[in-house]
Amino acid sequence: MRRLLPWVAIGVLALAAAGCATMNVGSHMQRGLDFTQYRTYDWGPADALPTGDARLDNPFFRDYMEGAVEKQLAAKGLERASADAPDLLIHYHAVVQPRIDVNRADGEYGYCYDETCGVRVIDVEAGTLVVDVVDARTNKLIWRGWAQSPAQRLLSRQHRMARTIDEAVRRMLARFPEGAN
Amino acid sequence: MDPSLRMARWAAGALAVSALMVAGCATMRVSSFAERGIDLSQYRTYEWAPDDRFATGDPRLDNNVFFQQRLRADVEKQLAAKGFEKSTGDAAALLLHYHASINQQIDIAEADQRYGYTDKRASSLYDAGTILIDFVDARTDKLVWRGWAEGSLDGAIDNQQWMEQAIDKAVTRILEKLPRRL
Repeated sequence: MRRLLPWVAIGVLALAAAGCATMNVGSHMQRGLDFTQYRTYDWGPADALPTGDARLDNPFFRDYMEGAVEKQLAAKGLERASADAPDLLIHYHAVVQPRIDVNRADGEYGYCYDETCGVRVIDVEAGTLVVDVVDARTNKLIWRGWAQSPAQRLLSRQHRMARTIDEAVRRMLARFPEGAN
Repeated sequence: MDPSLRMARWAAGALAVSALMVAGCATMRVSSFAERGIDLSQYRTYEWAPDDRFATGDPRLDNNVFFQQRLRADVEKQLAAKGFEKSTGDAAALLLHYHASINQQIDIAEADQRYGYTDKRASSLYDAGTILIDFVDARTDKLVWRGWAEGSLDGAIDNQQWMEQAIDKAVTRILEKLPRRL
């Protein structure tokens, strides 16, 4: 991992140069599990984890989020359980955390904010969306996916929130293992 | 000692040191401490204490069972190799706790400025992870040994395989410091 660091740094620089619209996506899954056994899902009870931010505790956010997840799960061949007990329970939550960032890109473009041309540290807010998929029978987590982006993308304007959630959910659920069909 | 063996050891040592130097300051730091005068070989069995409810500082790792499973499996493997037994049924002599946390770290290459130039690209921001393992005497409820590792986790959480490798490495290095049971 250590030897990878310079390459990671170069990657980060390339992303920074490409603009600030970065979203990083990841997932973990239960290894050695047959995901084709799951056909139906339902929403689990509301998550006990705090969102940490009142700006996300609103019905718009929940509507966008649930709509996006349902769309992607349908594309994966999973059906929302109607009468029978579901195979899977879906949980999600959003967290907004303060983080810091460094103005890496500025120096490359040849301008400085002050005469010392020092490194500037900027306060930013990072937004993380997490989707947990639980086996309803065993009550065990079998998959977790997340997407992280600057919280401004999530909170600044309503249509932007919808787009960001859509992209986040699409990209994280693209990593969910293929089901039966 | 056989002189060729001594030479080989010296070479391996020099290689390890230079590898550390190349890796720079963000290398994994590992440390431990033991209760003074405690003979760890008096303990044979252990079991896991209930999971702690501390937040890890990263929503990706909070209540992440995949992380927890890997860490426990690694610890159990290392302890078995050291002669400890996982308790089955009977009360264990040791209770194991672990804790993981993530902190954002900033590294600014100050050395460059001393030489009269600034390279902004040399400053870096990364996620540092800490894994800490505690051994508690089950009878007296006192901490008898603690080991921990801290290092950069950048990019490793998003990739399950990298995360598992990072856990493997950290647990191996931490428990290397634990005295072997005879």
